Amino acid sequence: MRLAEIFSITDKRFLDDLSRAGTIGLHMVSGIAAGTAIGYALDYWLESFPWCTGVFMLLGIVSGFRNVYVDTKKLVANQQKETVERK
Amino acid sequence: MEHPVILSALFGIPEEYKHVFYTWCAMAVLFATGFILRGKMKLVPTGLQNVMEVLIGGLEDFTVATVGENGRKIFPLLCGIFLFILAQNLLGLLPFCDAPTANINTNAAMALFVFAYYNYVGLRSWGPRYIKHFMGPMPVLAPLMLPIEVVSHCARPLSLTLRLFGNIRGEEIVLLLFFSMAPLVSTLPSYFLFLLAKCLQAFIFYMLTMIYLQGAMEHAH
Repeated sequence: MRLAEIFSITDKRFLDDLSRAGTIGLHMVSGIAAGTAIGYALDYWLESFPWCTGVFMLLGIVSGFRNVYVDTKKLVANQQKETVERK
Repeated sequence: MEHPVILSALFGIPEEYKHVFYTWCAMAVLFATGFILRGKMKLVPTGLQNVMEVLIGGLEDFTVATVGENGRKIFPLLCGIFLFILAQNLLGLLPFCDAPTANINTNAAMALFVFAYYNYVGLRSWGPRYIKHFMGPMPVLAPLMLPIEVVSHCARPLSLTLRLFGNIRGEEIVLLLFFSMAPLVSTLPSYFLFLLAKCLQAFIFYMLTMIYLQGAMEHAH
């Protein structure tokens, strides 16, 4: 690895990609956690224990996958833009 | 595992409020930099002014390149967030100091502020039509997409908080463990790694704030 390659970390598009890729994992988990928390709070309020938690947990899982989908789409779009510019 | 020698103890700050003390320390550093530089601004920058101009100018270029001309309106907030978190993170590397971002409360406050602010920006620029951002691409699927989008928006402050907290807290713990095992030999190399990681975490927080604000300002798909 040349020194210039190490300093290419300040390259803007690389930083953009790096921060997006670094966030994908937690986006999925936090979707599920937020969904479950909302459902649990609703159940606590309405005293209807399993129902809201279950429904909102499912919604959370779906939204977690949706977050990953959106992030990945953006990453792929960035990659394609880069290859087009290189040609 | 707690910090062995610490500045806040000298000031008589209780253990549970020390992150507030160090937040004020970070603010003091930033304010002091601002006041020192304001007095002697030069047309051809040297020294500290040069560093700050490169940092802020680079960030502004990046914001405008990603968000577009709208980016200039939100740039003060974004730059403030970046510098504030960077100062807080780097406090953790100073001897006798602790990073305030290693406490979940500091991060939750910042993340909730970002959440409130980007929704405010969305409501201000779109009015009632802001709800279209939550409806997904197809009108048929809107009733299904609305709760999913609401949950995924609620997940944003959570992931902002936990990422910063986990990274910084983890680094502090690793530094302490390394220091107790082999002082200097192991901590010095890891300082360089953590310097990079802490800058990167501040950048990621800034970047995500920018992405959320951009999503609130631009047209719903």
